[in-house]
Amino acid sequence: MATVLERSRLVTASPKGGNWNGLWTGVQTLWLKHMLKFVSSSMEITGTLGLPILWMFFFGLAMHGMVSQMKTMNINIDYLSYITPGVVMLTALSAAILGGSTLLMERVNGVIKEYMVAPIPRLAVLLGTMSSAITKALLQSVIILVLGAILGGGLNWNVLALLAGLLITVVYAMGFVGIAAALASKAKGMEGYHSIIMIFNLPLMFTSNALYPISELPAFIKVLCYLNPTTYAVDATRQLWFGGTSEVGMWIDLPVLLVFMVVCVWFGYRIFQKSVANPAS
Amino acid sequence: MTVSSDNKASSQTAMPRLAEWAIETGDLARSFGAVQAVKGVNLKVERGSIYALLGPNGAGKTTTINMLTTLIKPTDGWARVAGWDVVKQSDEVRRHIGVTFQETVLDKNLSGRVALDIHGRLYQMPRAESKARIKELVALVELEEAIDRPTKTYSGGMKRRLELARGLMTRPEILFLDEPTQGLDPQNRERIWLYIQQMRREQGLTILLTTHDMDEAEKLADKVSIIDGGLIVVEGTPATLIGAMGADVVSVQGVAGGPGPAFVAALLMTPFVEWAEAHPDENSVAVGLKQQAGRSLKPIVDLAEQCGYEVADIAISRPNLNDVFLKYTGRRLRD
Repeated sequence: MATVLERSRLVTASPKGGNWNGLWTGVQTLWLKHMLKFVSSSMEITGTLGLPILWMFFFGLAMHGMVSQMKTMNINIDYLSYITPGVVMLTALSAAILGGSTLLMERVNGVIKEYMVAPIPRLAVLLGTMSSAITKALLQSVIILVLGAILGGGLNWNVLALLAGLLITVVYAMGFVGIAAALASKAKGMEGYHSIIMIFNLPLMFTSNALYPISELPAFIKVLCYLNPTTYAVDATRQLWFGGTSEVGMWIDLPVLLVFMVVCVWFGYRIFQKSVANPAS
Repeated sequence: MTVSSDNKASSQTAMPRLAEWAIETGDLARSFGAVQAVKGVNLKVERGSIYALLGPNGAGKTTTINMLTTLIKPTDGWARVAGWDVVKQSDEVRRHIGVTFQETVLDKNLSGRVALDIHGRLYQMPRAESKARIKELVALVELEEAIDRPTKTYSGGMKRRLELARGLMTRPEILFLDEPTQGLDPQNRERIWLYIQQMRREQGLTILLTTHDMDEAEKLADKVSIIDGGLIVVEGTPATLIGAMGADVVSVQGVAGGPGPAFVAALLMTPFVEWAEAHPDENSVAVGLKQQAGRSLKPIVDLAEQCGYEVADIAISRPNLNDVFLKYTGRRLRD
């Protein structure tokens, strides 16, 4: 009896309350582990930080020069500022996709089993992976905003507005981590996952208001635009960060993004849950 | 199908208590679609013992371990680990067990120390305790030199040792080792055996291991279950299982086309022969003896000559778990 009681010292809460406790422990620990992996991989750091820089310098500056000569588009801010929210969303999307890769890698090489036999709920594995992906996305977003401020200069320095915009980025990225997690749980290997996930990347940017106002687009792309969560995230953050004219309106943007996030995270969790309940099938 | 626990009392109380058995299962079964991987396993593992599930690949060993460690749910039957139900009280089970998996499960860019530290965090180990435990375990598995290097620089044996340490990190009551020495060279294998024998000295630690290596089971286990086709075919201590096979076994190698069956028939009439079997594929006859082999060799050779069975070679062997396996499954246990 003595040994049993001595061992149970590790158990800090009753089973019911321990679920929340375990969830929090799991999320924290997985976040820490993924971030330790991140900082130990110079390649991943270079890629994560380099991508937004490349976008801002090459794409941003080139388009900026071209568009400012045309002066036909109906926008009230300089073009570099105009596309900065879109670049933020694109990199957040890439970070979400990488989050899915992390999950898939851990599933394929069996690392996930260590979490599965630990006293943490399954949900902690998903949320832990999400939290590390989101952290990387935020890191990238800040770099882009700083670069945007330096290169374009139209950034709104209101801290609350900046934070609110980053929060919207998180909501947007969470949704896509949900989708990525679902695909990562279904995929048999890396190749399959990446060939499917590519569909999300650039096409989502081009079928949104990230690069040009919705009013400038042909009718059928307009339809795609309104189906694309990127549109709402860009619309809201453009307003918050750069004082750009809203084409949709904050009161539509926010609920749409929240619903998108909740549905996708739920979807990701369900598929993930199924995949770990039947690992052999 | 339903998962049922016939002991209601166990599922109602959440307090830790001393269960009679470290592991107990009743008709534990798991199907994957139409495939029945485990068909109804009944186990009783004593506290503080080393218990081996011995069987060929695909026998259902890993599926059994996966159910006991709450990785997958049984499709039928029940199991209690450290007194907790694996389905209804999976969180409690998880708090009281340590596991090393068949494949190496390590992040190659993280150091061994980080792997152990992260593991401690997952189980909410206090920081100071975790640090002290890491020191203790690293000394046990002799990884002091390598512990701060990324695990990608480790050899196969070192990785296994690190995983053993990780399995023990949270002072589990029960440690599950799925094929602990698979893929290791003989030298590393014996080192792992040594560690496992040292580990059992941890207060009250029970070890359940699976293996398809009879030497491993014979060397380590207090009790062995031979598992084949998802069922336990026989259980016992290695000594009793081998003891039941009789004394020595003499293998008589003949030449091709020799009259094996006649020789076997003659052998079976001899008083000191327990059993005899012809292996036509190998042109050999195996003879199980009731007495020491030395005294039986001449009569066996004489008998062979009388039957016209030309003897090319004779080998004496003590029966081992492989012979036990052969007896109960009709097949050889191959590595």
